[in-house]
Amino acid sequence: MATNKIALRTENLEGRTIVHIGGEFDLEAAGDVRAALEPLIERTEAGLTLNLRELKYIDSTGIGILIGVVKARHSRSAAFDVEEVPPHIRKLFDMTGISPFLAKSEPKSSPVGIKGEE
Amino acid sequence: MNKDRIVTLTVPAEPEYIDLVRLTLYGIASKLKFTFEDIEDMKVAVSEACNNAVLHAYGGENGSIEVRFASDAEELSITVKDFGRSFSVERRSESPALHGKSVDEIQSGGLGLYLMQALMDRVEVEHEGGTAVTMTKKRQTTEESA
Repeated sequence: MATNKIALRTENLEGRTIVHIGGEFDLEAAGDVRAALEPLIERTEAGLTLNLRELKYIDSTGIGILIGVVKARHSRSAAFDVEEVPPHIRKLFDMTGISPFLAKSEPKSSPVGIKGEE
Repeated sequence: MNKDRIVTLTVPAEPEYIDLVRLTLYGIASKLKFTFEDIEDMKVAVSEACNNAVLHAYGGENGSIEVRFASDAEELSITVKDFGRSFSVERRSESPALHGKSVDEIQSGGLGLYLMQALMDRVEVEHEGGTAVTMTKKRQTTEESA
């Protein structure tokens, strides 16, 4: 059954691919999102960003897919991040502990301290 | 516990019906004046229980999920029941959450139950002719405090 509960839109901007995911990222949407992201995961020359501004709902199905993307991009040494996370979705990301893996990974991995010096 | 207000919804155990459970939950919880945040919490928890039933209860065969919403003055309990083979809700010594783990260690297994427990006040699982997960959220008295 085709559904448009999930909205996916891809744009290319200055060397990165931004995928806007809107609607409900649940079990029903999992196949569509996975199919949209799979080819982009392989494009290691471009950064990959998911924009979640229009995302209304996510659960462990969606978070599981994000974990898969984090791992796949990491193993390819390719940049990945998630931007504009609505507060009630941020709460779930913090609760599960995925938040730090969704932050922009800098090319040179210097540990970033909030305070520059003690 | 004697809950006197009961609504029951039965849906096919298929992914495209889980949003119907969420919509029903939204309607009931709004009527009971739960806060937006509590409703969002319950939506995720209840969907997780439905996800488990859809994915594990019927092994690819057709089946149904019965969702029972029972409320009283203090709380709302939602029971998600299937009539399939009972699946063990995985318990592991290690926390399924990702906190403090490296990219190589993180995985998605167990996050559904973890979220249910984190988002609800109580979660009980029973295996008897299928699996029944009962999740309870206490009603907060937020209004007229000003």
